[in-house]
Amino acid sequence: MKQIFVLAEHRKQQLRDTTWEAIAAGRKVAGEFGAELTCILLASNPDGMADQLAKECPKVLVVDDPKFETFNSDALIKALAPILKDRGPFMLIMGNSNSVIDLAPGLSVALDAALATDCFGLEVQDGKLQTLRQIYSYKVNSVVSFKDAERVVVTLRAGSFPFAPAAGQAGSVEKIASPLGAEPLRKRFLNYVEAEKGDVDIASADIIVSLGRGIGDEPEMEAFESLAETLGGVLACSRPIVDKSILPKYHQVGTSGVEVKPKVYLALGISGAFQHIGGIKGSPLIIAVNKDPRAPIFRVAQYGIVGDLHQVVPALEAKIKELKK
Amino acid sequence: MDIVVCMKWIPDTSEAELAVDSGGKDIKKDNLDYDINDWDRFAIEEAVRIKEKVGGKVTVVSVAPEDAEEMLRESLARGADEAYHLWDDAFEGSDGYAISRILAQFIKGRPHDLILTGTLAEDDGGAQVGGMLAAMLGLPSATLVSKIEPQDGKVTFNRELEGGLYEAVEMDLPAVLAVATGLNEPRFVSIRAVRKVAGMDIPVLDLGEVGLDEAQVGSQGSKTQIEKVFLPPEGEGAEIIKGSPEEAAARLAEILKEKGGIG
Ligand SMILES: Cc1cc2nc3c(=O)[nH]c(=O)nc-3n(C[C@H](O)[C@H](O)[C@H](O)COP(=O)(O)OP(=O)(O)OC[C@H]3O[C@@H](n4cnc5c(N)ncnc54)[C@H](O)[C@@H]3O)c2cc1C
Ligand SMILES: Nc1ncnc2c1ncn2[C@@H]1O[C@H](COP(=O)(O)O)[C@@H](O)[C@H]1O
Repeated sequence: MKQIFVLAEHRKQQLRDTTWEAIAAGRKVAGEFGAELTCILLASNPDGMADQLAKECPKVLVVDDPKFETFNSDALIKALAPILKDRGPFMLIMGNSNSVIDLAPGLSVALDAALATDCFGLEVQDGKLQTLRQIYSYKVNSVVSFKDAERVVVTLRAGSFPFAPAAGQAGSVEKIASPLGAEPLRKRFLNYVEAEKGDVDIASADIIVSLGRGIGDEPEMEAFESLAETLGGVLACSRPIVDKSILPKYHQVGTSGVEVKPKVYLALGISGAFQHIGGIKGSPLIIAVNKDPRAPIFRVAQYGIVGDLHQVVPALEAKIKELKK
Repeated sequence: MDIVVCMKWIPDTSEAELAVDSGGKDIKKDNLDYDINDWDRFAIEEAVRIKEKVGGKVTVVSVAPEDAEEMLRESLARGADEAYHLWDDAFEGSDGYAISRILAQFIKGRPHDLILTGTLAEDDGGAQVGGMLAAMLGLPSATLVSKIEPQDGKVTFNRELEGGLYEAVEMDLPAVLAVATGLNEPRFVSIRAVRKVAGMDIPVLDLGEVGLDEAQVGSQGSKTQIEKVFLPPEGEGAEIIKGSPEEAAARLAEILKEKGGIG
């Protein structure tokens, strides 16, 4: 029988939401395989988090070591390899967070396991596990299977496996000794660096005009600033616009940027990558202008214009000015 | 400091119209333009900047079919000292694991203090080769890295977490760092710079020259396989506003007015 493991992710002594989504996925797969679900928590002072996990998981394996205070991939790989090695066939599930991106590839090699990252679906077909992922700029779906289904690591796209608390009885907590010795880690956490604050706070804006790579390499920013002003909104952007220093980082919408919750989100030349959409919360009216009819942004937008934003933007501003009269 | 940069040559799919090929396991690629994976452009730039600061040598390497020579030559023009092109028909169908193995085998026999990759390639979206390669070489690694400061025997950098938060990290060398986009501003390469490296030799190494056998590469050496690919059905999602740019803009302005989108 296959064992399903979920690795609990934490930061600053708090379990992260990705953990609960991984448990939701673990429950689904464990159910389909008729397998046991175990959550693994490697942390410093883990008791509070372990109790929370035991409410949702039949079994929790806990290792307490100060080296796990932050989610350090060097420490985690060193510890998880011996912990999982002798437990037979397994599948390990984690959320595809920025910390897990750091961990999963090296861990899969250390475990001699196959890896599928950023999966938004997990299915068991004829007893075989298959995952769903997106490839080619998130425009194509692919079904991935594993040659050796006995050793598999998968990471999950946030939001793909909604979690609901289970009503069952509390699970067991088993403490195991830390496999880490005294030797220093090769990778050492120094400190957190907080996000830079700017003169606008896009997180609290109701109307957002957001710019993507489609605005071109040397954009005339006046046209966009003027549209935002006419709409009474603020300018935001996708990651490449910050990368090119067109706008400062505090304008970036997305998982590694700012989370916004506007009423209206006008996306100009943005493809709609998951990490961008992941930063748009609430359920705003999303409107997209993009010249590619297959751009993923049109799957989350309510309205779209397929066309050149450089033609649409001035026309739109002129019309809005007319309507405001 | 000996720096190795891994670079991927990928089809540019962000604006192209895509179609599934007859085998059903990949898209049609013959009509697509290829280019360097955007993340790797930042990796080569960072390598050259580190070399300019502390001295050393930059080697670029790619597992890619013939056309990728263009990318490798451009990297020489950007300031790399040597470039290696790893290709053999047997490499066809390699997943991230098999690619990592090829790269690890190549790097193993060469001096390396720092190995730079991109965090993710936009074709497979795997974000896996950097970390796998590191594990195969027995080295520590980190992804989403910026602000790289090499010091004696170690390196400090920032790692991107969520919501604008970073963690500052120190790591022993040798190490693999998978860079984040935006950590530098890649330089412009002039035609003159490209011309200057036109005569430089870019060795092409095949399976045997890399030092692996067929069972270790391609689909045989892979741990995952693609069963099928498909385009998500069209017509899900947005209502597309038709008409000329002016007509569409006029309709959009009305929608915005109705829905309170004009503040
Ligand atoms: C760990 C991680 C974290 C990330 N965090 C973030 C994040 O916080 N925020 C973020 O945004 N991204 C983030 N990304 C990057 C993300 O994956 C995408 O690469 C990025 O969002 C793409 O930005 P884009 O849509 O502007 O560019 P592209 O994907 O290049 O899209 C440009 C779009 O513009 C369209 N276009 C081009 N010209 C025109 C024109 N003239 N008129 C109309 N349309 C046009 C094209 O059809 C295309 O759809 C992250 C990635 C990773 C791996
Ligand atoms: N075929 C390849 N040749 C050289 N480097 C590669 C190759 N594939 C991936 N890489 C490197 O690994 C990074 C992550 O790629 P991936 O794991 O495919 O998302 C890329 O940004 C490259 O730096």
